[in-house]
Amino acid sequence: MAEQAEDQEQDVSNGAATESVMDAPGGGAPAPAESEVPSEEEVEVSTGGKSVEIGNFRVFMDLRMPEFDMGHCKAYSADNLRRDEGSAFAIVSDPVLPTRQDHINFLTGMHMAGQIDLLDYEIAYWPPFGRRTMVLFYEKPAGGKVSAKDNKKLPIDEHDIATVVVEPLMSVIQAFGEKGLAHRNIRADNLFFADASREKVVLGDCASGPPGYDQPLVYETTARMSAEPAGRGSGTTEDDFYALGMTLAELGIGRLPLKKLSDQEVMDLKLSKGSFQAIASQEKLPLVLIEPVRGLLCDDPEERWGLAELNAWLDGRRTKPVQANTEKRAARSQNLAGRDYYTVRALAQGIATNWVTALVPLRDSTVEIWLRRGLGDNDRAKAMSDAMRQLQWAGTDKRSAEDVLIARSILILDPSGPIRFKGFSAMIDGLGFMLSYDVQHGRGPQRFADVIVRDIPSFWFARQEGYSPEVQKHQQLYKNLRYYIQQQSAGYGYERCLYATVRNQHCLSPLVEQEYVVDIGELMPALEKAAETASEESWPVDRHIAAFIATRLEDDVEGQLMAMQNPSDEVEYSRAIISMLAIVQWRHGPDNLQNLSHWVSRLMEPAIKVFHSKARRERVETEIPKLAKRGNLVELYNLINDEQERRKDQSEFVDAVAEYSEAESEVFDLESSGPARLEMAEKVGQQAAAFASTMIALLTVSALFLMYIF
Amino acid sequence: MAKGKGKGAKGGRSAFSGLSVVASAVLLFMVALPTFITLTVGLLPSMAAFIFDRSPGRTMARCVFGLNFSGVAPYILELWQVPSQTVGSATQQIFQPLALSIMYGAAGLGWLLYLAMPPIVANVLNLSAQRRVSELRKKQRGLIKTWGDSLIKEVDRSGN
Repeated sequence: MAEQAEDQEQDVSNGAATESVMDAPGGGAPAPAESEVPSEEEVEVSTGGKSVEIGNFRVFMDLRMPEFDMGHCKAYSADNLRRDEGSAFAIVSDPVLPTRQDHINFLTGMHMAGQIDLLDYEIAYWPPFGRRTMVLFYEKPAGGKVSAKDNKKLPIDEHDIATVVVEPLMSVIQAFGEKGLAHRNIRADNLFFADASREKVVLGDCASGPPGYDQPLVYETTARMSAEPAGRGSGTTEDDFYALGMTLAELGIGRLPLKKLSDQEVMDLKLSKGSFQAIASQEKLPLVLIEPVRGLLCDDPEERWGLAELNAWLDGRRTKPVQANTEKRAARSQNLAGRDYYTVRALAQGIATNWVTALVPLRDSTVEIWLRRGLGDNDRAKAMSDAMRQLQWAGTDKRSAEDVLIARSILILDPSGPIRFKGFSAMIDGLGFMLSYDVQHGRGPQRFADVIVRDIPSFWFARQEGYSPEVQKHQQLYKNLRYYIQQQSAGYGYERCLYATVRNQHCLSPLVEQEYVVDIGELMPALEKAAETASEESWPVDRHIAAFIATRLEDDVEGQLMAMQNPSDEVEYSRAIISMLAIVQWRHGPDNLQNLSHWVSRLMEPAIKVFHSKARRERVETEIPKLAKRGNLVELYNLINDEQERRKDQSEFVDAVAEYSEAESEVFDLESSGPARLEMAEKVGQQAAAFASTMIALLTVSALFLMYIF
Repeated sequence: MAKGKGKGAKGGRSAFSGLSVVASAVLLFMVALPTFITLTVGLLPSMAAFIFDRSPGRTMARCVFGLNFSGVAPYILELWQVPSQTVGSATQQIFQPLALSIMYGAAGLGWLLYLAMPPIVANVLNLSAQRRVSELRKKQRGLIKTWGDSLIKEVDRSGN
């Protein structure tokens, strides 16, 4: 195959490569309805035997491997140029969806039983996208995909599922759990046979997109399923066990459970009956799998099966019985928008989907009374009453207060569920990914900003019971987010929240977005490239780049960000930008950034004004082109930031100002004292005349007297 | 009170000096009548100046008196050189046109001196001020040359 592709190899650097597009950024996203998803026919167009070298691999763009597609990402055949044995394939991530850095770091170059081997990853130019993106290279599993589409035949014998599927997946969940991570991509569709004899399975990719993004809704727990796909959150090991339970159910049934139902119906069914009952009532589960599926699909994470229970089941021991549905059901229903709700979680979801109509039963305390009398839940009823009381204290912005009341009511009813606010729905650990999705899919950051500004997450934290280090971590992060969003200047705002919450978010500045800059070290080369075509008036640091640097750089740049708060102060603004870029170059290189240096030097005019002395300015102006040629921003910055020289200049300038002012004042005095001078001259003149006259008289008398004597 | 006291002291001094002048004149009249006549006639302009000059310090009267006395003094000495001083010789001497011209001319010169001196002093002061302004402007131009427009801006800013 490699040879075949070799024969067809062409230079991909020419423009033709971008014409025949197999995919487009965001194209692979299956979940969001509003994204433009090209049909399978569109993406399967051949590019005519082209290949591209990425790192140690050659990827064949026309050799698609649909059986290895992982969720929204497409798979392509790839050759390992450094190793002969084994075969690899490439997964091209969607550049408008962030990847998972922790998972990539954890899995790269490591062999783990039950998990497909991630050989390497690279950020590279992908011609069909016409931009750079992340490409993940996996070892090709020898046995192919476990569940082929439309194949109703059970791919694995139900009696072998324990050894073929459960054991390897348990070891994966355990290994991830030990690292404090969750796989969040465990599903039958993402299982592959590790070998040709089909004795073990391996799990597919989990790093190429947001956690849980590619999971069918049925695979998500009742707590997380109502969140939008991008906001389902990083989750925990318990979520992986739930997904394992659903995987077993799918393998047992031979197709996706509840496939015939819509997402809303699946949600309603799971909320009303509980996850296991929902499956068991609609599908025929193999007898041998009923016990583990019931344990793993338990909706109470505390009760849900874990490693110990699964091991016991594998050993054939009895495990503790699990309650099928832990959700408390009310004696009477609460009606909302024509529908009856019997559980708090279902009602929370009902309120979220009927945002406007939900206000009336909340305001007239119908829900509170239902909680107290129908459900006998006085704690929730009291919390609801408190939330209502706070509405009465609301100031002039009544509408906003009503929205907050609805959002809080949802959290009172479903404290472990997602934060829902006027269509926005994301788990607390999925806020960053949700923001990233919104920003890159045209929705903008407003929904996220509304949630943070109205402090909804604080209420979520307040509703959590008991101590959890994870919650503490999120709470600390949230405090920072709130601070960032409240700041208006560059380096803060939603941009800072984005980079602070999503480690692998590439910089979204229009200057470098196409370069897919994830690591701070890649920023300067990307800016160097952007400098070739940058307009003379634009600055090399915009809001995104400032926030990206502030988040990713090891050094503190708060001083520079403070200086950037006032763009009208050109001197400080330009100095702050040059300083920031110089620090990044000093830390991460490269040494020579000629284009960027020329760009910066063009913008250094205001920074030169930092010197008052014309002679000093002229010296700096002559030095700048010389240093720009060397491509060193640090030297450029040092030129305008010679502290000793600046202090001397400043001190001399202050003296000069004082001298000038004194002279001006004296001139003013002299010019305005004409009449007074005349007055004085008259007085002095008269006195002088009188004195002279007296002296003449004395001299005359003395002379005559002397003449008289002698 | 103090003001009144001051005024009283000044008035007292003036009255005392006036009295002493009258006493001296009476004494002179009694002891040396020819000298008295010469002085009285010769110093008539000074007496007129003292009467009409009411300015503080009476600088005009002092100017006129100084030179007027310088004009009279030679004739007094001439009179004293005659062994027998008589009223006749004194009147004869004093009413000579030349003598009167010298005495009154000298008084006139005193008055001219009084008129001419203030403009001269004013011119001197003006010239000195102009020279200083020119020096200061030169210094300011030098500062602007060294520091540029930012100096003016800073001065304006700090002035505001």
